[in-house]
This record gives sequence, C-alpha cells and structure tokens, in this order.
Amino acid sequence: MTNSFDKRAGSGLMVPRRSLLKGGAALGLSTFLGAPFINRLHAQESHPLAGQSIEMNILGIAGWVPSSLGVKMSPLFAEYVKEKYGYDVSFNFQEAPFADLFQKAATSLVTRSQEFNIIISDSQWLGALAQPGWILQLNDVIAQNPALDIDWYSKTVVDTYMTYPDGSQNIWGLPQEGDVEALFVRKDWLDDPKEREAFKAKYDVELPSTFEDFENLTMDEFEKVADFFTRPDEQRWGFAQQYSRVYDFATCAFNNFLWSRGGELWDAETGQVEGVLNTPENAASLEEYKRWLKYCPPGATNIGIAEGIDVFTQGKVFATIQWAAVGPAMITEELEGKVLVVPPPKHQAPGAEPKRIYSMGGQPWVINAFNDEQKMRVAIDFMNWWYQPETALEFAKRGGNPCDKATLSRDDFDDINPWNRTYKFMLEDGRSQDFWHDPKYSEMLSVQQEGYSSFVTGQSTDAQAVMDYIACAQHQILYDSGTAKEAPSDSCAMTSL
Amino acid sequence: MSRLREWLYYAALWLIALIFFAPIAWIVMSSFKTRSDILAVPPKLFFKPTLDNYVDLFNRGEIFLQIANSVVLSIGAVLIAVVVSFLAAFCFSRFRPKGTDFLMFLLLSIRMLPGPAVILPVFLMYVAFGWKDSHLWLMLFYAMFSIPFSVWILKGFLDGVSTRFDETGIVNGGSWFHVIFKVVMPQVRPGLIAAFIFNLIFVWNEYLFNFIIGGVNTQNIPYALSVGTYSDGGVNWTFISTMTSVYIIVPVVFIYIFQKYLLVGMTFGTVRGEV
Amino acid sequence: MPPVQQRRRPFARLFDNRATLILTLLAPVMTFFIVFNTIPTLWLLGLSFYNFSLTSGMPPDFVGFRNFFAILASKNGIWFDLSRTFTFVLCGVTIQTLLGAMLGFLFWGSKDMPGRRIALTLLFAPMVLTPVASGTFFRFIYDPTFGVLNYLGRALFDSGPIDFLGNPELAFWAVLAVDCWMWTPFMTLMTLAALGSVPKAELEAAEIDRVPFLRRLTLVIWHHGKFIMMLGILLRTIDSFKTLDLIIPMTKGGPGQTTRLVALELNKQAFESFNMGWSSAYAVLLLLISIAMTSAFIFVLSLRRRRENGA
Repeated sequence: MTNSFDKRAGSGLMVPRRSLLKGGAALGLSTFLGAPFINRLHAQESHPLAGQSIEMNILGIAGWVPSSLGVKMSPLFAEYVKEKYGYDVSFNFQEAPFADLFQKAATSLVTRSQEFNIIISDSQWLGALAQPGWILQLNDVIAQNPALDIDWYSKTVVDTYMTYPDGSQNIWGLPQEGDVEALFVRKDWLDDPKEREAFKAKYDVELPSTFEDFENLTMDEFEKVADFFTRPDEQRWGFAQQYSRVYDFATCAFNNFLWSRGGELWDAETGQVEGVLNTPENAASLEEYKRWLKYCPPGATNIGIAEGIDVFTQGKVFATIQWAAVGPAMITEELEGKVLVVPPPKHQAPGAEPKRIYSMGGQPWVINAFNDEQKMRVAIDFMNWWYQPETALEFAKRGGNPCDKATLSRDDFDDINPWNRTYKFMLEDGRSQDFWHDPKYSEMLSVQQEGYSSFVTGQSTDAQAVMDYIACAQHQILYDSGTAKEAPSDSCAMTSL
Repeated sequence: MSRLREWLYYAALWLIALIFFAPIAWIVMSSFKTRSDILAVPPKLFFKPTLDNYVDLFNRGEIFLQIANSVVLSIGAVLIAVVVSFLAAFCFSRFRPKGTDFLMFLLLSIRMLPGPAVILPVFLMYVAFGWKDSHLWLMLFYAMFSIPFSVWILKGFLDGVSTRFDETGIVNGGSWFHVIFKVVMPQVRPGLIAAFIFNLIFVWNEYLFNFIIGGVNTQNIPYALSVGTYSDGGVNWTFISTMTSVYIIVPVVFIYIFQKYLLVGMTFGTVRGEV
Repeated sequence: MPPVQQRRRPFARLFDNRATLILTLLAPVMTFFIVFNTIPTLWLLGLSFYNFSLTSGMPPDFVGFRNFFAILASKNGIWFDLSRTFTFVLCGVTIQTLLGAMLGFLFWGSKDMPGRRIALTLLFAPMVLTPVASGTFFRFIYDPTFGVLNYLGRALFDSGPIDFLGNPELAFWAVLAVDCWMWTPFMTLMTLAALGSVPKAELEAAEIDRVPFLRRLTLVIWHHGKFIMMLGILLRTIDSFKTLDLIIPMTKGGPGQTTRLVALELNKQAFESFNMGWSSAYAVLLLLISIAMTSAFIFVLSLRRRRENGA
C-alpha cells in the first residue's frame, strides 16, 4: 500500500502542470484567434440577429442601487432592439455583494464560460480582469461604433472607468455609474432656529446652511458642527463615515484624508510604495482619521455602506460621508426634503492650502471576452443604447449618475436629483481620484484593510508602524508581480501590526 | 413535595430549551415585522404582524430554483453517500481487508481540512474538466464529503451486528446480496438514519462549495442568503429573516420526527435499543 | 476460496465470490476517494511548488519551496492564525463539552416530561441553522446601536455602549459565544447518546448498592460512555477547526486580525486574491497539521480502548 502511494505521488506532479499549461495555451490561442474575428464581424454585417431570440446574462452588484437600476432598465433595451433591429432579448440577472463580486466573476470567467455576458465591475478590478484576457478590449469596438466615442465629463472619468494600465490608451470598460463621495446632512436640523442660536452662541459663527457654505468649509470648521450635534444621551451623533474592514470601505474613507492632506498611495511609474505610502504625513492622516470616531455613533468601526445608510436613515447622525450613488436609499420617504447633499469639507494639512481630494467610486460595464458572436453583438448594441442621450437622461431621472458631458451639462441636470450638483462638482478633474487598478489589487487592498481596521479599533497603537507594515507588504506584493522595480528595503523585515 | 420538585425540574428544562431557541424565535418573529420594526430601538416584542415579507420572498424569480436545488442536491448527495458508505462499512466490518485502519484514518483526516483547502484543488480540477456549475458533479462532491462520517457510524453499527446472521444467511442458501441488504441492513437502521440526517443538514446549510464550484444553475439557499444580505436600502433584514425561517423548517421537522434514531445513531453502534 | 471465474452472471450473484465481493463493496468508495480526494490532494501538493495567480494570465511558474518558506516566515501570518484557531477550538470545545454534558445529564432523567420531544427539538435547533444566517443575525444582536444586548445593558445596568464585534478585545469571545450557542446542543446530543449506551442493568445495580453518585459516575457511566464522548469531542474539534461560514458575516476576520482563523485566511488568499500556488502550500501545511491532530486523537482513543479491553 505504501509503495503504490509513493508511485502516485511521483506521477501526480506531472498531471497538474501539464493540464494547467494546456489550459493556459488554449486560453491564449482562443483569444488570439477570436479577436480578429470579432472585428471582422462589425465591419461587414449590419444586423444578423433579426428574427432571433437571445438570452443575455448580466452580473450585477447585490444591494447596490445603480446596479439594480441598470438591471431594471434592461426591458427598455429589449423594446428598443425589437423595434429597431427586429430581434428579441431576454435578460437574466445574477448578483453578488461587493465583497464577493470579484470572486464570483473570476471563478466563472476562468472557465471561459458565458455564464455572465456583461458584468458591472468595480472600477478597481479592471486590471485583474483585463490582464488574463477575460474581458474584451474596447478600442476597436469604440472605433467602429461612433456612438460610443463619447465626450466624457472629465478626464477622471476616463482614468477611473476605462483605461488600464493607468495612463495608457487601452480601454476595457465603459462607465455604468459615476460615483463620488458626498456629504449628506440633515437640513432640518440645520434650519432649526433654536439650533442656529445655540451654535452661534457657542462658537460665534453661523451654522453653514447652503451648498456654497459647505463648498468653502474646512474640516476644522466642520468639526465644530459635528461636535455640536454629538449628543449621546439623545442617541444622536454628529458624523459617520466608513471604517469597516470589509472590502474597500475603510480604504475609501481614509484615502479622503490621505489625498486631501497631500499624501500619495504609490508612485505609479515605478510601482514604488515604500517611502511613498508610509510618510509621517500619512501616518498623521491616519491618526486624524481615527480621531473623528469620537463624533460617530458606537459601533462605527463596523460601518460600511449599508450601515452608513442605516444610521442616517434612522436619524442617528447629523451628517454622513457617503457615496452619491446610494442617494436614493439615503433619502427615504420620511427624509424627503430634509436632506441637503453637499461636497465634503476641505482638509488642511499643517502648513498647506486647504484642498479636497476624495475617493472616486462608480462602476464600468465590462464585456465577457468569451461571448459568442450573437451575445457579443447584443452586448455592443446594449452599449450603444445605454449611451444614447435619452437613456442617460432616464437613468439620471431614476436616480443614477451618468458620466457624459452632454447629459451633465444640461440646464436641468442639477434639479433631477438632490445630489446631482455635488456629483458634478466632485467629478471635476482634480477633486476625485481612484486608487490602483493593478491586477494585484485584491491582495494589496486586503493588507491595507487589515492594517487600517487594526489601527482604528485599537489593536495596533502606532500609526507609523501600521503604515510601515502596509507599505512594505504592498511593495513586496508588487515586487513579486514585477510591477515594482526595486525590492523593499531591509527595514521592512521588522515591520508588523 | 416531590411533585413540586418534579414540576420545577421540568420547568427548568423547558426554560433552558427556550433560551437556546430564543435567537431563532427572534428571527422567525422578525420575518413578520416590517423593516423599521426590526430596526426599532427598544426592540419590539409586540407589533403588528405582516405577511408582506413572505409575499415578497416568493415573488422573487429565482427562489423556487434555489429551493429545488437545495432539496435535490442535499437528498441526492446524501443518498449516494449513505449507500456507498454502507457498502464500504460492511466490507471494513466483515472482511477487514489490509489497510482498513489506514483508510478509515485517512477519511477522517480529510474531514478535518477547512473548506477552502478542500475546495481549492477540486475547483482547479473542475475548471480544467468543465465540471463547474453541474448538478451531477456538485452532488458527487457533496457525497464525498458525507462519506467519512457515514462510514464511521455505519461501521460502528455493523460491528455490533453479529456475524452469525451472515453465516446463517449463507448457510440457508442466500447470496451475499441477500445477506447484506435483506438481513443486515435493516438492523443498522438507526445508523443509516443518523448518517442520513446529519449529512443532510450539513449539505443543506453548505455555502462555500456551492459558491465556488456551483454556478447559476445550481445555486442553493445559503448562497441566496449571502447574496441577498444587502439590498438597495441597506441590509435586507426582512429577506434574511424570512428566508431563514422558511429554510429552517425542514431540518427542524426532521430532528423532531427522527429524534429517536438520532439519539441511537449517535451511539455509533454501541446501543441497539432505545436511548 | 474458489478461483475467480469470468462468466456472465446476474448482478446479485456478483456478490458470491469473496474476492469480487470485497472489490464490489469497496469499488464505489475507492472511486470517490481517488477522484475527489487523492487526485485533488496530489494536485494540491504539486501546485504548492509553483507560483500561480489565476488573474495574471500567465502559466504557473516553478518556485520550489519558496511558498512554504514565505508562509512559515511571514509575520502576522500562519503562526498567529494557528494560535488563534487553536485557542478558538480549545476554548470552544471545552465550553461546549462541559455545558453540553451538564445539559445532557439534566435532560437524562426527564423521560416522563411532557413535550420532551419538542423541548429537545428546540434545544437542538441552533445546530441546524445556516451559519450564514446565524452570523448575520448575531451581528445584529451585538450591534451597539440597534442590538438587543446593548439595549438590555442600557436598561438593566445603565452601561455605555459595548461594541462587541468592533472591540478587538471582545470580538473573538463574542464570535466564540455564538459558536458555543450553536454547538453545545451537539454535545448534549452526544452526552445523551453516551448515557444511553450505559447498560441499564449496571446502573440499576449501582443504585441498589447505593453507590455514591460520584463513584457511580466514574465507575459505571464514564466507563461505558467515554468512547462516545471522546468521539463527540473529536468530531467537534474537527468541525471547530474549520469554522468559516460563521465568521464571514460577523467580522470577516476583523477587527484588525483578531478573528482571523486559518480557514478565513486561506479563503481570502485562494478565492479573493487567487494566489493558487501560495494557497496550495498553505493548504498542504493545514493538511499536515490535521493529520497530526487526528493521529493524536485516534492514538488516545485506541489507548483507552486497549486499556479497557485488557483490563
């Protein structure tokens, strides 16, 4: 029995390598062969699908308003193509929550299956989906479909949702939903004359009350307001933002502090993280980020998107920094007319000008590279339809955030949704930023999430040590994958949480 | 006096049972509340019940597919596992071929590995062979996972069935087939039922494997629960409580009906009668 | 033994020849074992020597033992995860066994209780609740703003808000508490089974002889019931080591790293970062550990059996 066991162990080594290499070769070959074929398809035929009935599968994001909006609007697409091109389309939807979305997409795409024909992907996944060739590169598609060559509202849109590697011209996605960080405040509490008097008496300044007031507000000034509304005995607190360890919640909230105070995450050219992320200024930003916990309700260290919605809609906090995309969920029926949406405050690092750079959110549509010709055709028709002015406007009317300059420049755009003005404001170049699209995104993110979570919950007490640990770990990851040119320094061996 | 003690004793036992059951009762109660009632502070014990959540639940398109998948995958996998385990356990018990102890040990240590460790190579294998999102292959994998426990239980029971039965059966002209299935099997019924129920509950509640090597066609309810946790308005409490309440009915009913067998079954064969 | 003859025979007669009988009985389980266990394990072993990331699009690349060295040498890595997991398992199983056994003894004498079956069903219900649902709901129960525990704390003890799952000191124990809630009934079940395996004759004899309870416990009850209790502890230890489903909705390994157990870390590396080579190495290490643990247990079990048979 022992002998045959050894024999099996020996032959076992051959099996995995061979079939994995075979799989990799088949993958490369099929992509190589498939690409020119698809291009030829667009050039020659105008509508091959007339009279046919096609099923499309979309993978969206569970519990995410814009994703479900996109999904709910697909019957409009079905009507449109029926009329215009004469074929039937039916849609099936699958969902996964943010934290599991990439997992779901990847485990399906790695089998080269058509389980999902169109995917609503988070912007940071572009690299991880593009690198193995799982999604379709769209440069040729855009060249052949002039309707897709759109004038986007700002360069940030292109950088965030469309290109990978950062700074190149390769396009892999088209924006489904633009998203920025906004500050949702309780207007009714602000307008209450008693509150206004009390605030004026205490701080000798007026409570801010308009969009312009908040536009000029700094964090120091805002802190007074947050402190004023923090009343634990009344079960009310002044502020809430994301601190949760799950997915990218803590990262997005912390990056607001980091960038606004002048820091950087990495040097995109050289892939250098060490020395860039763990500067003393960034460590100070981390401490500042934690300091704001005192104005947040208890349990804030677990606040993610959903919890942020819950505490705000249940009237527990005065203001929340939250994604504009969940505006429809934040402004419930009961809160109708009581909420003001404004740009989040500027940060002022010691010795610098006040400025605001906040995290960029939002998701692009990406197309499965393994779709057969029919589904590919429908996917492209879908994109063409999605970016029509009427569709974009309908999307906005239902609470979504389109990204094209034409729709956003309309006179009535600001009035469609309470957050639209803030959305446009934050979408301007230089105000919002996305973080790395590198294929190693997931690993780098989870290191950072653990680190930030460990600091804000008090498991680790030295901010600089935490930043060192994160920077070293991330640098090691990038160095191993070949993105970073230099190896991490020797002092990295000493870092730990 | 002793009557009083007896009643106090029973009351204490009931109290303990209720304490353990309390969180589940809370979940079931929540399934009849509206969302704001669930989130209300202080927690509401008295409220206006509503059936809306259940209506919403059964209006979801995929729900019937998911329930059907849960049922089919669980029952199918466990049936296969129990049959295969029974045959193997019989062999181990009666013939003790060389390597029995080694194999039994190996089976047990597999069960000790965390889910991701087990599923990792299987996932790669399934991807390479195209077996992902297939009812058959998912069921076979679940069956594999149910085999170790079943073999251990059944072997224990079979060891307790005297070989005289076998001998008598053979001597009377019956084939081994007759002996195994007609003579011996009925005697280990508690073991079979215990193995069946325990593994059924495991596959019924299984989430990770279904998520990784299952897919759109084979999605089951735990998968639906994890995917449906967040909805447009935040955490979808109404869905979770309603879905959970519906889903827990089957296992609880099984535990009630087959309780006697469970108790006997978990003795791994050292008891033949009542427990 | 009659020699194996190749003849066309009806299925049932396949069972006649002893050699073919053994083969037929074992064939299904061996097939399962080889396809779903041996081959994947070898694949795992092989892959652990490679650097393979599913998302890089590049084929696997041989690196020898580098994955193993990286894992064993990493700070905040496997040693911490293992120690946390062992603490979880040890404390969890101990609490569940003691509490479960106590409840088992309590329920043992209640044969005539009205509604005993229902009471026991209620008691066993936590075992059959989907861990994903338990995790999500207990997260709600523990919530400092909306949860019922904090509400009781405020109402009864006027305490400040306690963030069970956000506080790095408390989170681990909060999760452990839920695990105990779920699985203590299992140990109660095993205790009842163990008590049931004690021959009634001996119990009655001990009563008639007026043997004091403690001695009755050790001489008669433990003597017969220990095998099942040990088996129950073994099963619980095995399952506790694998805890994953419960932790994901509650804390997902947080706050920081305080509830990060081995299964969670492996899940993250394998199915979120898709680092197949590294995860395979990690899984191989876990396999070695689980084999060691199982051997230890079986050894202890067989020791007792041998001693008992010899005695």
